Amino acid sequence: MIDKLCDQAREEDLAVAWLYCDYKAQQEQTVINIIGAILKRLVGSEIPEGIRKAFKEGRRPLLADLMRMLRIAIASLPPVFICIDALDECLPKDLPQLLESLRDIVRESPGTRVFLTGRPHVGEAIQKYFAKAVAIPISPNEDDMRNYVEMRLDRDEAPEAMDNALRAEIVRIILDKMSNMCVGLFPLFMVYTY
Amino acid sequence: MAQTTHTKPITFGNNNVNCNNTTGSYNTTVYNSDIDARIMGWLSPLEPDNRHHGVRTGRFEGVGDWLLETREFREWRGGEDGADKAVLFCSGDPGVGKTHLR
Repeated sequence: MIDKLCDQAREEDLAVAWLYCDYKAQQEQTVINIIGAILKRLVGSEIPEGIRKAFKEGRRPLLADLMRMLRIAIASLPPVFICIDALDECLPKDLPQLLESLRDIVRESPGTRVFLTGRPHVGEAIQKYFAKAVAIPISPNEDDMRNYVEMRLDRDEAPEAMDNALRAEIVRIILDKMSNMCVGLFPLFMVYTY
Repeated sequence: MAQTTHTKPITFGNNNVNCNNTTGSYNTTVYNSDIDARIMGWLSPLEPDNRHHGVRTGRFEGVGDWLLETREFREWRGGEDGADKAVLFCSGDPGVGKTHLR
């Protein structure tokens, strides 16, 4: 996704910033650090004078400082795309403030696009801040799984041991087992989570 | 695993701002000077580049291409609706491949 936008960024004028949330880094993934990371991604190697000046003042930046610097940076950039992966891996207490900050960014810089991923329950929180957010459910895609199995079979070290019929049989059985697994695991998952 | 690498720094616009801010095929961030690196650390200790390299090398090419063809993605990407539809949210349970969408 990020690579795709970066490919497009080379053809068109786009600026892309991304962040992967990770539950193992929750303490570090504060809203202020996330907004700071987006800002540093967007300024790249050309650090604006305003940021240099603020740094020289020597105090830690506040969220409001970073938001102001971000607004100024976005104004000098082509359309900005902000991608944040696994929102549900943020601390729940940080999520509302993060979404509020993103909403402020979009309000102040209307051309900005935001791409988010997360478990379905995060959708409700997103809706509170972005009533018209578009949600796309992602499920394991059979074509993706098939392509992956085919790729692994292409790399088989002894391809002569497998004729086309055997190969087709292997693909069929693996995909069959995988779809059963998904169906079989889901109720188990429900039992453990409730 | 298929691996996509950028071999040149990516630049766009007239601002000479890097999309990836990278040189070489490893997604390491290169700053002009020590002070620039300190400013970046001051802005945020998070380093999204490092994780992106891991995701990129672990991804199988073409996964999630279908998403790019959806009307929802195109409309969001095109940005015709301005701030109203600024957000696209891909939802799914753990392990369905959200992170590796291309």
